[in-house]
Amino acid sequence: MSTTSQAPAISEAARGDWRALLTRHEMLLLYVLIAEWVFFYIAGTSTNRRGVVVGFGTWDRQFDILRHSCEIGLLALALTPVIITAGIDLSVGSLLGLCAILFGKLWHDGGLPIPVAMGLTLGIGALAGALNAILITALRLPPLIVTLGTYSLFRGLAEAITRGSITYTDFPENFLFIGQERWLGLPTQAWIFISVALAVGILLHRTTFGRAFRTIGLAPEGARYAGLPVERRLALVYVLAGLIAAIAAIIYTARLGQAKADAGTGYELFAITAVVLGGTSIFGGTGTIAGTLLGVAAIAVLKNGLACLPVVMRLNAAEEMSGLLTGALLLVALTASVLPKILSKLRPRRHTTIRTIPPLSP
Amino acid sequence: MKRYFRELSVLGALLAVLLGLALLAPAFFSPQPLLTLITREAPTLVVACGMACVIITRQIDISVGSIFSVCSVCAGLLAARGWPLALVLPASVGLGALFGAFNGFLVAVLRLPSIVVTLATMVTLRQGLNLVRQGEFVNLPDHVQWFGLSQTAGQLVLVSTALGLLVAQALAMRHIAAGRYIYAVGTDAETARLAGIRPQLVTLLVFVFIGALTGLGAMMNLAQSPQVQPLTGNGLELKVIAAVVVGGVAISGGRGNLWGAFAGLLLLACVSPALTHLHVEAYWEKAVHGAIILLAVIADGLRSRQSNR
Repeated sequence: MSTTSQAPAISEAARGDWRALLTRHEMLLLYVLIAEWVFFYIAGTSTNRRGVVVGFGTWDRQFDILRHSCEIGLLALALTPVIITAGIDLSVGSLLGLCAILFGKLWHDGGLPIPVAMGLTLGIGALAGALNAILITALRLPPLIVTLGTYSLFRGLAEAITRGSITYTDFPENFLFIGQERWLGLPTQAWIFISVALAVGILLHRTTFGRAFRTIGLAPEGARYAGLPVERRLALVYVLAGLIAAIAAIIYTARLGQAKADAGTGYELFAITAVVLGGTSIFGGTGTIAGTLLGVAAIAVLKNGLACLPVVMRLNAAEEMSGLLTGALLLVALTASVLPKILSKLRPRRHTTIRTIPPLSP
Repeated sequence: MKRYFRELSVLGALLAVLLGLALLAPAFFSPQPLLTLITREAPTLVVACGMACVIITRQIDISVGSIFSVCSVCAGLLAARGWPLALVLPASVGLGALFGAFNGFLVAVLRLPSIVVTLATMVTLRQGLNLVRQGEFVNLPDHVQWFGLSQTAGQLVLVSTALGLLVAQALAMRHIAAGRYIYAVGTDAETARLAGIRPQLVTLLVFVFIGALTGLGAMMNLAQSPQVQPLTGNGLELKVIAAVVVGGVAISGGRGNLWGAFAGLLLLACVSPALTHLHVEAYWEKAVHGAIILLAVIADGLRSRQSNR
């Protein structure tokens, strides 16, 4: 969207400079997250009349935060590679809704067993991602507009299929286990989230694919001249995004126990916010999964922590306040990211006198 | 002819839809419902004119929906307090311009990417409004609806305002230096700078401009109903961007004009009544919108491929 592009940030860790490591974006975000957490732990925890600790500082609440951040977290994981290639995918939230509906329809109307319906839903997600991929790579169309179109299309299909009113419910217990119970101590869906995070993290940071994504994000033409299969790599990124959106759809359905056409409305914005907050450059080329996870956590802790504050509880405005603060946080993070550059420009330039005459020596 | 092929093809599609409606559902063309339909799209048209400028300078603004809501509610509150319309109107326009200037400052001066900046302001403004208003409606005094005129007269005032703005701006962008600057900056900012244009200033002003137009659009929306609901602008940004892009304004900047955007807007606006008159369920509207957007960009892609060969 913009004409400027940022120079690649040389990995500070690679230079072994610990001071740079402590001030890099992910670490700053970690400090913010810790500060947030400590603040809410102190201000949001209380003891009720029967002497039981309630509020933010309980394990139940912490698990709740994890449970509720899985879907947006998955979408953020899907968007990280996309944004690293200097692309964008606005359609993931709508695709979540469409996949949830189709999953419900396959199981309820199609009479398919749950695992088969799940498999088909994942396939549909990948196919929908492939539609984005074909339009973006084969026709070289701008991702913003293509996914704006599919944003409308996917949500519209979900609404058309359900005629705006059908909600699929009454899923079997063993399916709801994915979204509502715990397994090995953590909410079940957290394990799925962690595995996807690991998979995407490995893809992005430990394989040549990840390197290709970065290169494409920095200089698509250069990547082409370097012999990278730019189209195929870009296609992979969007298909992957579709697939992960389908996983998020299944988890969403299992958590709420129902599939509705408006599932995931507006999630794409929170996911993009988390990714950008996590330090991924919207111009492409740089970004880490660790940063994205921290971004997701910062938003999730903020939202849930606010809900535990007595002041906010009285106003019943946790949703709005967290949204407001998330937006403000994003603005501050953005401004902070360019501030050093701006300040160095504003500083009066030292006059560089050209010494043509050597100083007289005594 | 060849130069405006893209715009003419949208116009052709629009005429085809209208012709189809004329044959299958002549009731669509009865004057009063048609006027109501066009009046409802008038605020969108005003915002779309601004969006065309923003996209031509190779930027984007997805905060217009939130700015629209905030301006509507603020203008509504002022009107409810008994401010005369002659003061509420500039207040709404000014407020919009202020938000636009904020976006423009971050984009043009701090050189942040417009999509993220306006995403952030969109979320902040929307949630801020929800927080303050808690979804409460604003009831408007009687003199606000249709500006105190009869309904038809009010509708005609709104439609002619929107069309007047469209014509004036389209001519300005074609024939006035300031209008050409917008194309110059969008085509190549660095070349524009070397030619003596200040790209940053142009970008800033374009954002102020779309903000002001959004404030005006909010005011035009206010005049159409007896109360303001705080979610009134939700989704406006995507509707406007879709209209502009369908109308042939290239997202890569520097190409397109307002006539195309106007045709695109009308084409998308016709979908809902067309579905109703053809007895298709209204739930298909969004899907059809999406399909139209995709068809438009696919056509663009195929054409640019051909011209590259």
